[in-house]
Amino acid sequence: MASKFCRLLRPVVANFKRTRFLQQATVATQLCRNNTQSTGTTTEKRPTIRAPDTLMRKTLSEFGQYVAENLPKYVQQVQITNGDELDIMIHPDGILPVMSFLKDHHSCQFLNIVDLTAVDVPTRQYRFEIVYMLMSLKYNSRIKVKTYTDELTPIESVCSVFAGANWYEREIWDMFGVFFANHPDLRRILTDYGFEGHPFRKDFPLAGYVEVRYDDEAKRVVVEPLELAQEFRKFECSSPWETFPKYRQITDAEEVPINKEANKPQEKK
Amino acid sequence: MASSRVAVVGSKQVKPILSANKTEAKRRVLNLYKAWYRHLPYMGLLKDLQLQSRVTWLSFVLNTVKDFDIAVTVPETKVKLRELFLKNKHVTDIRAIDLLVIKGQMDLVETMRIWKQKTHVMMFFKDTNIKKPTEFLTRFYEGHD
Repeated sequence: MASKFCRLLRPVVANFKRTRFLQQATVATQLCRNNTQSTGTTTEKRPTIRAPDTLMRKTLSEFGQYVAENLPKYVQQVQITNGDELDIMIHPDGILPVMSFLKDHHSCQFLNIVDLTAVDVPTRQYRFEIVYMLMSLKYNSRIKVKTYTDELTPIESVCSVFAGANWYEREIWDMFGVFFANHPDLRRILTDYGFEGHPFRKDFPLAGYVEVRYDDEAKRVVVEPLELAQEFRKFECSSPWETFPKYRQITDAEEVPINKEANKPQEKK
Repeated sequence: MASSRVAVVGSKQVKPILSANKTEAKRRVLNLYKAWYRHLPYMGLLKDLQLQSRVTWLSFVLNTVKDFDIAVTVPETKVKLRELFLKNKHVTDIRAIDLLVIKGQMDLVETMRIWKQKTHVMMFFKDTNIKKPTEFLTRFYEGHD
């Protein structure tokens, strides 16, 4: 009896379900259409790309000019890269004055050293570019200070201004072999004791010069010279990763005009 | 301060790392050599067992303890020290000499404070490095073409 009742009811239930589904579907398509209409009228947005902030850019270039006016002896060039990043290129003699100015001047207050690193470009006369990245919590802004050196020219340590630069400078000494004068504790930080050479230099082979293995006879780890033929490498600075096709071309750094008359570069005698 | 002084390299004047002239650089090198030389007896172990037992007894008396358990005699370390210093005798640039002295000084500190281990000390001696065959037949036996 119950089965007979079910057989009677089934088509009714199925029909009911179908109509409900269809109703829902039409509602959904209407919603979709409404959505597309509303987005079609508004301007196109690309959430992945940061919009250029012209106001910020203007403020930064003015600040760059201000720094150049205050330190005409050391600031050689001021530029804005990647839309809104301020770079200040200085003479290596002026590291301490420029850093203490940026840290202590009331209208700068770059109290934090975020990072300190080096870039090796062997074709340049001064192959190492030292980059100091500073942050001002007070004015919510960041700045890069760049200077240059070569393998044998010592650079003044900024540990007396920023205590946090201690390990960064040790790292640069270890990885690039740039000597920091008056550093409180300059020694290796990343490489093993007895390691020779500076691994981040471009002329250091990828595989290194030595290989390390455990020797069962000597009962210790032994270090032996490594012979691995490596092809000549050509270095290009472009990114190896796939970037957005529209943004493959990196826009050049825009130079901020500074008063060159007042900016007499210090001639080394 | 180092930055206010000037060193002469070749015909140009440059910023010195430590020393401003050749005599100063030479003095630094000799000082480093002496410091290493004085430290050598504390580094290694004597090979001769009889001597060794006597020395360990003496070392308690004289309060001299060997830092590393390595099978290298003191005369051998002296020869090696001389060899390592003479390896750089062609360097004439004052700043290059200074950098080498600084690195040697750091090495000495790492050895003296026993930050280094046996492995790192024995890296100087390269005792497991087998010389590469140079003659035609020996190269052939080794499998080089």
